[in-house]
Order: sequence, then structure tokens, then C-alpha cells
Amino acid sequence: MQTDDRSLMRAKFAPSTEKPKHAGMSRRSLLATAALLITTSGATAKVVTKVLPWRPNEVYPVTPVVPGGWLFFTADEAAVVDAIVDRLIPADELGPGAKEAGVTTFIDRQLTGPYGGHDWLYMQGPFSSNPLPTQGLQSPLTPRQQYRQGLAALSAYCKANFGGRGFTDLNNEEKEKLLSGMEKGDVKFEGFSSRMLFNAVYANTMEGFFADPIYGGNKDMAGWKLIGFPGVRYDFRDVIDNPNKPYTLPPVSMQGRQAWGER
Amino acid sequence: MSSIVKKDATKRRSRLRPLLALALLVAPGAALADPDNLVEITRGKALVTAGDCVACHTAPGGTPFAGGLALQTPFGAIMTPNITPDSTTGIGSWTADDFARAMHDGRRPDGTRLYPAFPYTYYTKVTRADSDAIFAYLRSLEPVSNSVNRSTLPFPFNIRSSMAVWNGLFFTPGEFKSDANKSEEYNRGAYLVEGLGHCGACHTPLNAFGANKADRYLQGGVVDNWTAPNITNDAQAGLGKWSVEEIVQYLKTGQARGVIASGPMKDVVENSTAKLPDADLKAMAVYLKERGAAGPSAPSPVAASDSRMKFGEAIFVDTCAACHVRSGEGIPNVFPKLAGATIATQDDPASLIHIVVTGGQGAATATHPTAPTMPSFGYRLSDEQIAAVVTYVRNSWGNAASPVTADTVKTVRGKVTGAAD
Repeated sequence: MQTDDRSLMRAKFAPSTEKPKHAGMSRRSLLATAALLITTSGATAKVVTKVLPWRPNEVYPVTPVVPGGWLFFTADEAAVVDAIVDRLIPADELGPGAKEAGVTTFIDRQLTGPYGGHDWLYMQGPFSSNPLPTQGLQSPLTPRQQYRQGLAALSAYCKANFGGRGFTDLNNEEKEKLLSGMEKGDVKFEGFSSRMLFNAVYANTMEGFFADPIYGGNKDMAGWKLIGFPGVRYDFRDVIDNPNKPYTLPPVSMQGRQAWGER
Repeated sequence: MSSIVKKDATKRRSRLRPLLALALLVAPGAALADPDNLVEITRGKALVTAGDCVACHTAPGGTPFAGGLALQTPFGAIMTPNITPDSTTGIGSWTADDFARAMHDGRRPDGTRLYPAFPYTYYTKVTRADSDAIFAYLRSLEPVSNSVNRSTLPFPFNIRSSMAVWNGLFFTPGEFKSDANKSEEYNRGAYLVEGLGHCGACHTPLNAFGANKADRYLQGGVVDNWTAPNITNDAQAGLGKWSVEEIVQYLKTGQARGVIASGPMKDVVENSTAKLPDADLKAMAVYLKERGAAGPSAPSPVAASDSRMKFGEAIFVDTCAACHVRSGEGIPNVFPKLAGATIATQDDPASLIHIVVTGGQGAATATHPTAPTMPSFGYRLSDEQIAAVVTYVRNSWGNAASPVTADTVKTVRGKVTGAAD
């Protein structure tokens, strides 16, 4: 990604300019898009006969995340997220933790993309104030808004309850106690659900720790090595044909692995 | 048969006048073929199939034989002409003599010279009777008005008279002469391979002037960034290990010995060889097997300890083995075998690099209609990594061929993707 794109991104998601926007698309543009879809879909319907269609060089690759800096988070926000994910999956004798694996970078980049705006979800309401578990997400807040507002509320909570200290200043015991209070919803933030913030970071931490490294987390396939996941392999006939023998192949990511040599 | 029943609209109209009223009743807008000509036209159609004329004389998505394909040569692109019988944009005003002159001498009716992208160096061997039959078939096609820019070559190659010199150096006109010491079948195969089939146009390396090197006939060439393998009887790089039956099966179905025709050979099989009579295919195979082996001696394989082989093996295991199998054996009819595949042991690695970068699709024929595809890996592998995995494929499971450098990959990648990187 170019430096210019990054500064544009930063400007786009800077806290002062963040406006409450539901799906990143106005009603007018949505209607225009729908009209376009209707007019063209009939004409482009394609019938495949005889031979499967194939075109050279046809791939839809992911743009690899380049670690370094923050596109959505402020430096202070990133430090708090780093501190939270470090408690959720800490580094230990089994290997690196979420912080070392780049999970904060993963979350930062996800928040700048369609996920961050819930672009693919219906976000117009109505929202139930007391939803059944089966009703799924019931909030007008996009992940971007959840993080921005939630982290601000957490910061205010810490300042008020830990003698002016921020979350990153707490010791591990204090952090873990606060996080489990947030998980249960026992901790009350001013104007924001502590549980909503916890759930967001918790889910995104697991995603970042176990998603392909191309998305910025799971650095060096740390998450996959921890649980023995083989990565993007897709043929295991040799293994199935040899039951009760240990699986020895190392994991491989979408961008390969070290044994592939120089990229 | 419909293309035969339709007809030659321009010249024979006066002769067919008594039939005109009937023609209008039966098929408004179309005239009738000369019924006396039907056998000739049918024979011509089979010969046109053998020559795979449609492959070059059809633009992508265009009407067959109406021309307009940009044929890439080392000297620039040549747009193939319209050979339907349209009198202004096609060959509607040509006579059978004109056509035979083009086939045998590489000349247009006005005497100007054609470029050898039109393989008259091969078609010169076609008999006059066959040339006339081909002409009769082309005359039976629906005339299509399609004006093709025939002056796309840059200076100095746009000077057609320079071909006189070229012809003096590299062109030996003359019909096919059969070898009395060989069987009729061998001679039939030789006539097809050396003449209409123009197999050597791709399967023989080019010299600096774009002429096939006569001393390396059928020892393999490169066309459109694909490798056309050695098809002499050479045991390592050629057809030495192939039986006559296997060659026939390959030409008929696009598959044999675990390999599948792809790249330009996919089109050759689908458009031409799959439609040829088995007897002709067998004759070609007999000729290719009997005419002998030639080619550079096989190199010793790159050592397994070489770093390229180690990187290549890791890439192969992680990326290729799921389909091509760890042992390089492939899966019959779906995923080509790489162990012992002649394409893997050609001195030129263009096809292997090409197919890894862009992906590929196999031939679809009546018996093997699937047309299996390989996805593109160009986005995922660097030049160094493709060089490593291709080197590994060329030097594993008994294969032996020169190692491939990242620079070679970079060059091929640039040509087949248009990418600057």
C-alpha cells in the first residue's frame, strides 16, 4: 500500500472526522446501484455449455497487509488494544501471544475495510433494545464506532476508577479483573456497553490470531503452529492413507512459507 | 452438410439460373452449391481441417475463416486475411490457379509476396489436386465482408519484396515427393506432417530471420511463449517412449501417457487432429516414429542438494502436489503427469513457466470433454520461486533438464501477463 493511501486512510478514519454513518452508502447511491443491477442483470445472464470457462491469469488475490503504523487507531487507542489482546492471548512457553502475532494490526486494517462499516449488513433498524440471542446483532453501531466509542469509554472509566491511570498503566491482575468484568457486563462504562467492547475485541482477536497472515495477524503462522493447523493445504489423501502416523508437514500460508525461498 | 448446401453466391449465378427459383423457394437468401462439386468440397473440408486453417484465419470471437487474428511474430503482428469468398475483402475474386500459387509459391494473384507466417514453406508440398479441393471448399463458405488491415508490420519488415531474398535463402518450393523405400503409410504421414499439418512451423526452432532451422527440423520450438516439444523419436525429449498408438490417442483425444494437450496444441487437437481420420493420424505417428531421433543429448539432472531444488520441492509439495501428486504421477484424465512428461524435459522451459504464471486449460474432445484447468499462480509465486519449482519439476522423478533462472521467468512473465514487475 502506498504512503499516500495511508495518509488518506488516516484522514478518513481520524476520530474528529468520524461521522455516524450506517453503511457507508447513501440511500440515493444505493437506489442508483440497484437500478443499475436491474438494468444490466438480464443482459449479462450467461449460459455455460460444453466447456468450463477459463481465462489466463484469472485470480482475485488479497492485497497483503503491510505491517507498520495505524490506519484507523490513534497511537493511544492502538496501545490499549495491544494491551487488551496481550491479556486475551498472552505470550507464554507455547509461543507468541496475540500482541506479538500482530493482532492489533489485523484489527486496525479490518476496521478500515468493509467490515469496519458493517458495509455488508443491513443497518437501518429497527433495533431491539432487549433482543433474543437468536436475533443476532441489534445495534446501529458499526465496528468502527464500537471501537472508537468503546475505547474512549474504557479510557474514561480507567481514569475515574484507577486514580487517573490509563488501561495500559494497570498491572496484569488489574487488567484481567477489569476485562472479566467487562465480559460479564458487570463493569459499567459511561454511555457505552463494556460488554460490547469486550465482545468485539475478543472476537477480532481470535480472528486475527488464526486468520491467514496475509491479513496482518497470525505472524509467522504462530496461531496455526500453536494448534497444529496445516494452513492452506487442501489435499490430505497421503495422510488419510497412513492412519496413526503423525502429521509432519509444517503449516503454509497464502504467501507460502520460509522454505519456499525468497519472495 | 448445411455449409455445403449453401452456396457460391457470386460467380456461378448465371449458370445456376434455372435453379434460382427453386433456390429461392428452398432457402431464401442463399444460393446452391454446384452438386457436381460436392465430393470435391467434402474432400476439401477434410483437408482444411488437416491444415487447421481456421486456427489462424479466425479472429477471437469472429466468424470462422473471415480473418483478423493478430498473429504475433518476432517482427511484429500480422493480421490474418479473410479467406471466405467475399469478392472485395476475401478471396472471392481468386481463381484456383491463384490459390495454388499462394499455396505453392507464397504469392498473391497480383504477384506480391506473402509472409511465411502463412506457412507456404510447408503448403508448397500440397498436391495441386488437394489445393483445388481446399479452394473448392473455401468457395463453398458463406462470403463474409471483413476488411482486415494487412499492413501492420513495422518498417523494414513491411517491405514485401524483401521476401524474395528470404525465399531465396529459406524456401524450397515443390510438391511432396514420396520415398519409394518407405511404406505408403509412412509417405502419407510425411505428406500430412510436412505439408498441410505444418507441424514443423511450431515444432522447429526459428533462426534470426524467422525461418525454421532446417537442420533442427521437429526438434522443438517456441511459439507464443509456449514450448512446442521435440517430436522426433528422441527418447528423452521427444516421442521415443511413445508408441504409435499413444501418439494417435494424443492427437485424437488430447490425452495420452497421462499428459494433456494445452496451450496452442489444445487448439490444434480440438480444431484439427481430433477430427482427422484415424488412418491419417496413424500415418502421421508412423512417420514421426520412423523418421528417427534428433536433439541435444540429455543433461544430467540438477542435484537434489541444489538450493533451487530444495526451495522447489517445498513449493511443489505445498502448491502442486495436491493435483499433480507428490510422485509427479498426476491423476489420469484430469491432472497431467509430470514424471516423464516431454514438456518437462524440453531445453526451453517456456511452457512450464507460462502455465504456472497464467494457469492453463486442457483440450476438450469428444471422448475427454472435461477440459481440465489449472489455476494461475503468478500472483502467489515470485520469479525466484517459479524458477525453483520449475527447476524441481524438470529434474525430479527421472526428469533431467537445465535449471531455470529467475531472469527467464521474469521475461516470460512479462510477456504472458503484460506485467512490468
